[in-house]
Amino acid sequence: MTSKTPLIELQDVTKKYPLGDGEFYQSLYGISLKIYEGEFVAVMGPSGSGKSTTMHILGALDTPTTGKFLFKGKDISSYSDDELAEIRNQEIGFVFQSFNLLPRTTVFKNVERPMMYGKVPSEEREKRVMEALRLVGIEDKAQNLSNHISGGQIQRVAIARAIIMNPSIILADEPTGNLDSKTAHEIMGYLQDLNNKGRTIVVITHEEDIANFAKRKVRIVDGKIVSDTST
Amino acid sequence: MEYQEIIKSAIISLRRNIMRTGLTMLGIIIGIGSVIMIASIGQSAIAFVTNELSSFGTNYFQIIPGGDLFSAAGGASQDPLTLEDAEAIEDADISNIESVAPIGYASRFISANEEQVSVFVYGITQAGQNMLKPELVYGELLTDANSTDRVMILGIDSSEELFGEGINPVGESVRIGDARFKVIGVTKSDSALMGRFFNSAAIIPLEVLSDDIRGDEELAEIDISVEDTNYLNQTMQDVEFFMRERRNIDDDEDSNFTLTSFQESLDTVNTITGLLTTLIAGISSISLIVGGVGVMNIMLVSVTERTKEIGLLKSIGAKESDILTQFLIEAVVMTVIGGIIGIILGILGAYGVSAVVGIPFVLSLPWIIIAVVASTLIGIVFGLYPARRAAALSPIDALRYE
Ligand SMILES: Nc1ncnc2c1ncn2[C@@H]1O[C@H](COP(=O)(O)OP(=O)(O)O)[C@@H](O)[C@H]1O
Ligand SMILES: [Mg+2]
Repeated sequence: MTSKTPLIELQDVTKKYPLGDGEFYQSLYGISLKIYEGEFVAVMGPSGSGKSTTMHILGALDTPTTGKFLFKGKDISSYSDDELAEIRNQEIGFVFQSFNLLPRTTVFKNVERPMMYGKVPSEEREKRVMEALRLVGIEDKAQNLSNHISGGQIQRVAIARAIIMNPSIILADEPTGNLDSKTAHEIMGYLQDLNNKGRTIVVITHEEDIANFAKRKVRIVDGKIVSDTST
Repeated sequence: MEYQEIIKSAIISLRRNIMRTGLTMLGIIIGIGSVIMIASIGQSAIAFVTNELSSFGTNYFQIIPGGDLFSAAGGASQDPLTLEDAEAIEDADISNIESVAPIGYASRFISANEEQVSVFVYGITQAGQNMLKPELVYGELLTDANSTDRVMILGIDSSEELFGEGINPVGESVRIGDARFKVIGVTKSDSALMGRFFNSAAIIPLEVLSDDIRGDEELAEIDISVEDTNYLNQTMQDVEFFMRERRNIDDDEDSNFTLTSFQESLDTVNTITGLLTTLIAGISSISLIVGGVGVMNIMLVSVTERTKEIGLLKSIGAKESDILTQFLIEAVVMTVIGGIIGIILGILGAYGVSAVVGIPFVLSLPWIIIAVVASTLIGIVFGLYPARRAAALSPIDALRYE
């Protein structure tokens, strides 16, 4: 929170989805949010309140209908699809609630994949994959197929993949939604470790105990921010 | 992303649904397999015929009685070739002619001891013997000295039937009707085509055939060898012109005799095989297109099924071109593997057919290359649309897809 430019900034962002017949469904009603380097933010809210929509915009997967999205101070609304892909590859690490890994593909290859899109030389890749897997304590599963590991292990692999390109920010959309509370806390522990090492993290959740791992809580209800508190 | 890695992950994807992949490949396998099989059999047939015909020598042509199949005088031989025709050609001083060999023919029973066999009896001259070059197992060939004697060279099969295996019949006497002949030699041909004729035949001097067996001077054919093979066609035209003059055939009438050269027969075989191969290639290309449409269908299904996977890949930085390449390569891997299986099955099929028919098996390399290129192209052409659909998915729609 020391740097002047936020890492990510939403300025009065709205989002409308066309429903056909000229009708729209509006999921965001003017969201403004600044996230600085090193923060650990929990975005909270009930189901359907627009949390995922917000995260997709933060992650350059989706674009606002109105308002601005600034990444490192730059408006990227005019970026081409390929340029956005490059930003996602280099700057953003995603962890989803489900379908995080390529089916029937080894843990190793899953974690390696972003480096292929990022044209990291093959000599470097193996070392980096193993390092990332070690950080989440799962290096012994490197050659296991993604469908042969447990749900908690899948989320750890997803975290390893999210950090493999050394991104500016990690966006996790209900990463513990499918896990029992013990495993969920374990996963949050890994994210907390990463944050302690300086990584910026945004976690979306509707569970209070999960949000408690974060230093800042942003609450969204019906597409509007209703509170933003730091501890 | 490196191609090696894309191919590996394509194979992983295809193996996820091995049954479906196999069924999809079937059209390609059948299409490619049948082309390769027919092309290989065709090549084998050409090789076989070439080999056989070249054992006759390419430096001569023959005249047979009757017009060719398409002419008015087709088949019928009311105008037989005679010894006089042969002598006239020889005396005509047509350039490039080396020698003229009249060959007569009769189908008769030959008997010796208590045995009797039905044989083709050929009457030839010294010139004919020089052209046919019979290979002797026993005895000797016809000479000027015995060209009016009742002497006979037996084909090996006839000889064995009459005298038994491993017996040298030279000096023995045989009969055709009442006429007695002295066996002076036994000949054997290893050529499949020639052997079938000559091994069960008998050769006697032409004069003897005409005088003592047939009682006329009709010929089965006249073989003419040339000095320079390059001018074979010219010489054939000269001879045809000469024969038409000699037989007073009008310009608008068909010839009542036919000239053929072995080169021509070879060309015919080549043409037929080429035509057949093209035909089969045409038919197979329909099967390939059907196979290609199948590939497109399955790829479209695959794109739909893997929408979430595409979303995931886009979220970790896959560009449109990355997704496009991945799905395109999946389609190409599928058609190329199908093509390779087709090539292997086609070759095995052709090999089997060659073995059964008894012709040497020849691998058709150009067709194999064509097959590989064709299956690659089918993968690209029919994989492109599904791959573009996959590439064009918006990351968010793909991720939210349920
Ligand atoms: N493509 C879409 N078309 C129409 N409505 C959508 C689309 N995507 C999301 N929505 C709607 O937007 C609202 C917010 O969705 P979302 O951001 O996923 O909520 P949350 O993650 O908080 O549960 C929901 O009501 C959802 O149904
Ligand atoms: Mg959500």
